Amino acid sequence: MKENRSNVFKSRKRKEKIASVISLIIIIIMAFVVLFPIWWILRTSLMTNAEIYKYPPLFFPSEFRISNYQKTLEVFEFWKYLFNTMTIIVPAVIGGTLTATLCGYAFARLRFRGKRFLFSLCVGSMLLPSMVTLIPLYIMWTKGLGLVDSYLPMILPYFTGGGAFNIFLIRQFIMTVPRELDEAATIDGAGRFRILTNIIVPAIRPAMIVVALLIFITLWNDLLQQTVYINSSDKFTIAIGLTNFRGALKADWSLTMAATCMSFAPGVLFYLIGQKYFVEGIVMTGMKN
Amino acid sequence: MKAMKKVLVLLLTVIMAFGMMACGKDDKDTSKDLPKTQDSDSGKKDTPSDVGSTEKVKLTFSIWGGQDEQANTQITVDKFNASQDRIEVEVLAIPWENYLTKLNSMATANELPDTGMMMETAVIPYAKEGMFADVSDMFKGQKVLDSLAFTYDGEIMAYSSANEVLLLFYNRDMFDAAGIPYPPADAANAWTWDEFVQTAKLLTLDSSGKNATEAGFDANNIVQYGCSVENLMWQLEVWAISNGAGYFTEDGKELIIDDPATIAALQEVADLYLAHKVAPLSTGATDDGIPRTIISGTVAMATNGQWNVGTSLKSAKDEGLNYGVGVLPYMKEKVTICTGGPTVVFAQSKHPEEAKEFLSWYNSIENSWKLIEDGIWMPIFEEYYTDESLTRKWVENEAFPPYEEYKSAVVDYAVNNTKRAAWYYTNNIDNFYAVLGSVLGEVWTGGDTVENAITSNIDVLRDAFEGR
Amino acid sequence: MNRPLKKSKRRRSHISAKEERTAYLYLIPAFIGLIFITYLPLLGVFGISFFEWKGITSPKFNGIDNYVRLFTKDFFFVDSIKATVYFALIAVLGSMIYSLIIAMLLNRKIPARGFFRAIFYVPYVLPATAVYIGWSWLYETNFGLFNYLLARIGINKVQFLASSRLVVPSLAAISVWLSGNLIVIFLAGLQNVPRIYHEAAEIDGANAWQRFRNITIPCMTPIIFYNLLMSLVTNMQIVVPALSLTNGGPGNSSMFMTYLMYRYAFLNNQIGYACAISFIFFLIIAIFTAILFITSKSWIFYEGGD
Repeated sequence: MKENRSNVFKSRKRKEKIASVISLIIIIIMAFVVLFPIWWILRTSLMTNAEIYKYPPLFFPSEFRISNYQKTLEVFEFWKYLFNTMTIIVPAVIGGTLTATLCGYAFARLRFRGKRFLFSLCVGSMLLPSMVTLIPLYIMWTKGLGLVDSYLPMILPYFTGGGAFNIFLIRQFIMTVPRELDEAATIDGAGRFRILTNIIVPAIRPAMIVVALLIFITLWNDLLQQTVYINSSDKFTIAIGLTNFRGALKADWSLTMAATCMSFAPGVLFYLIGQKYFVEGIVMTGMKN
Repeated sequence: MKAMKKVLVLLLTVIMAFGMMACGKDDKDTSKDLPKTQDSDSGKKDTPSDVGSTEKVKLTFSIWGGQDEQANTQITVDKFNASQDRIEVEVLAIPWENYLTKLNSMATANELPDTGMMMETAVIPYAKEGMFADVSDMFKGQKVLDSLAFTYDGEIMAYSSANEVLLLFYNRDMFDAAGIPYPPADAANAWTWDEFVQTAKLLTLDSSGKNATEAGFDANNIVQYGCSVENLMWQLEVWAISNGAGYFTEDGKELIIDDPATIAALQEVADLYLAHKVAPLSTGATDDGIPRTIISGTVAMATNGQWNVGTSLKSAKDEGLNYGVGVLPYMKEKVTICTGGPTVVFAQSKHPEEAKEFLSWYNSIENSWKLIEDGIWMPIFEEYYTDESLTRKWVENEAFPPYEEYKSAVVDYAVNNTKRAAWYYTNNIDNFYAVLGSVLGEVWTGGDTVENAITSNIDVLRDAFEGR
Repeated sequence: MNRPLKKSKRRRSHISAKEERTAYLYLIPAFIGLIFITYLPLLGVFGISFFEWKGITSPKFNGIDNYVRLFTKDFFFVDSIKATVYFALIAVLGSMIYSLIIAMLLNRKIPARGFFRAIFYVPYVLPATAVYIGWSWLYETNFGLFNYLLARIGINKVQFLASSRLVVPSLAAISVWLSGNLIVIFLAGLQNVPRIYHEAAEIDGANAWQRFRNITIPCMTPIIFYNLLMSLVTNMQIVVPALSLTNGGPGNSSMFMTYLMYRYAFLNNQIGYACAISFIFFLIIAIFTAILFITSKSWIFYEGGD
């Protein structure tokens, strides 16, 4: 009986080991597949235009033309664009994360009339593509509030909860924080705001980082709004700079891809720095007990 | 309550801090930008150089194009600003892909620039709504090529700032290797379509070196294609015209795309890939024809616009590409089509006269010279085509193919054999091309015939053309 | 665990005025956002959809003409609904399955897990336009890498983006590739499935598939729901590939609704008409989500919850 059980245990261990090895192999293959298109873009950024269109295609450039990057930087004002982009992103990320936390907290913990209704309005707004409301919003910001050629139409909306997805996310996270903690603090005489700042915020800090990352990525990619609201080339962002890089009749792919690779960098960097918190954050998702 | 106050304070501080940050940056800029829309009359913004002089008229000039084109335009505009003391022009650069998006939203909000470049497809729609000031008398004395005027109801709405025509580019080395004479460089000797296809067959090679006329040719393993005919909707019309028909009647009033000659011509183009196997598949979605074909070294001949001489072939030539240029083959009529982005004065402008003054200055040959010299533009003035001494000025150029070839294949061809692209005289062309592109979508891969695609969708095409 | 839950439920019946005030105060930003950024503009869209407004001219009321034209005359509209739904269906299913599998593999004890996790996430943080341009080279019919590889193993050229049959699945594949965020969320969920359940089931003789069906899936339902919702909303709004690669073609096979809307509003300046499309698009997404929410009650397994 005893032997039998240890056998089961052993075979289970062995089985698990084999499974792990197979998983690892599949994962490695998949990782290659996933990275491949990225390599393709990177490779392109290091080639001459003639090499790009070669057939059969070249997996590696004949020589790594770092000079493509230098050439690109001559016309692609990366640092200026980066600064401009950050001028939009930093306030938006901070505003979005803070207000999303406030709203998420209210939805998760506080009781008030109209909560269900408001919450469903909030969830409902997730379904509204930004493109749908672009025209009325554009008219409101430019005609109504006179914000022509300004970053504010892209920043201010993030001070209103940073989008329903983020409020929803924070709410879910807060719901995982044991209520007993709040209650204990209430007994100690702490007010709502103290509970929020001293108990909830530290507990959901990873979630806030997730929200920050999500806002970061959205804004980073939001070419359409940036084009519509920004006029002067002094204010161009990375996304606009990138499209502008392809001139009217030009298709210099290697330089375009070099510019593209440069514009990859900040996003990847932000992710790598935040990734520890990021995953930790999601591990705590509100969908668990 | 205390908590509430704290939240409020926190919120306000955050909003203010970042609002200020953003505004602070804006304030600086708006002080610069505002005058162009509102303060242009009050004239409280004098540049130090003209202290005490009368106020300057401020104009915005919108352009598209990449960074270097932008820098060039800025230099030109700076020159203009320095050349006189009444008008000051500011450049508004917009990425090409979003140019129309941007202009349309500006038009909706009634804040269009004073003057600017215009997308070809939008000229007639804008003109029809009275969005342009009259510029027909802009070039006093100098004669612009007739083919470069945008007309609606017989009236001139705008002029192109450059001239571009469709040509046949080819790789000399591939012709030499096959021992075939180069494509003709003058319209008099232009190839018929059949000669073109025949030559393309000789130049289409599979991986074992067999060409498309030989037995045992493997069409699934082609390493070099004989030709590629650009099938962007607007370029495609040249073949319909060449076959004696077209998309529209010449006054732009009627749709004749279901004319059997048009259908046959388009089918010929599709058959290069489908039947003759001499062309790579192209779905007409991207605008990088020459880099994709000639420069990549995979195609021997390709049709496309003259601008490629400057935009892509110039640097390829430096890297060793040996290319030449010839006239298009023909079906019934020896013809090419021209285009060229126009510059316009918007009717919303408060200073149309000054805007016009700037535009005619901007369009002068001296100010276009850099782009002409680079091979991206061709002059708009007739004398640069007809007066040989002037022609030599821009065509005798290291970056171009040899003078004799270029003179007959491009310069003379552009004067004698050119029809206007459809957007010079038809409304709703953008939507029409979108529908047509969609209607023909299955044709290129052989899923449908041109005849069936067009005849079964003729009502849809007509609706798009008539703007319904 | 059960008792306090009941207690809190009872307490909910009388809401303290102070708590309510605090709640409203905290929700001020959301209120403002919902009113000015979301619902008023939506109302605006609905209103404008009854006008013929060419943008540059002043709007003219024309009743339901825009809607009539959409459903009876528009060459693109019906196809665009099909393309959007078809795309969303493939992309959502594909990315759910892909990311669940990858997440389960990553959930095993393998070396350098954090590294691999990062790799699978990276596509998500890349600029979308560049991603599609990069992929278009891989897909290119004549000289693209995929067809080169296929030719090497003797398969005829495949028209990935050039054939109306394959264009949507090909684009959906890119969308699946981009779904790194779903993987991370799944992974998080998997790590929350108590190991004891698995071990207990194993001792009871359940095989891997049974464990997956009866333990993993039920524990994961809330996360699956969240991911489904997120993936659905993102994929319904697909626009970049049409914008940067296909222009809606070949034929109308990739004429996604948001792209069509963009075309009418910003290229053809038919703002009233574009608003009508927007509104119908909104309704379609709303219907799909409603279905998801309604059915969710029957298949989501909540262990505790509020």
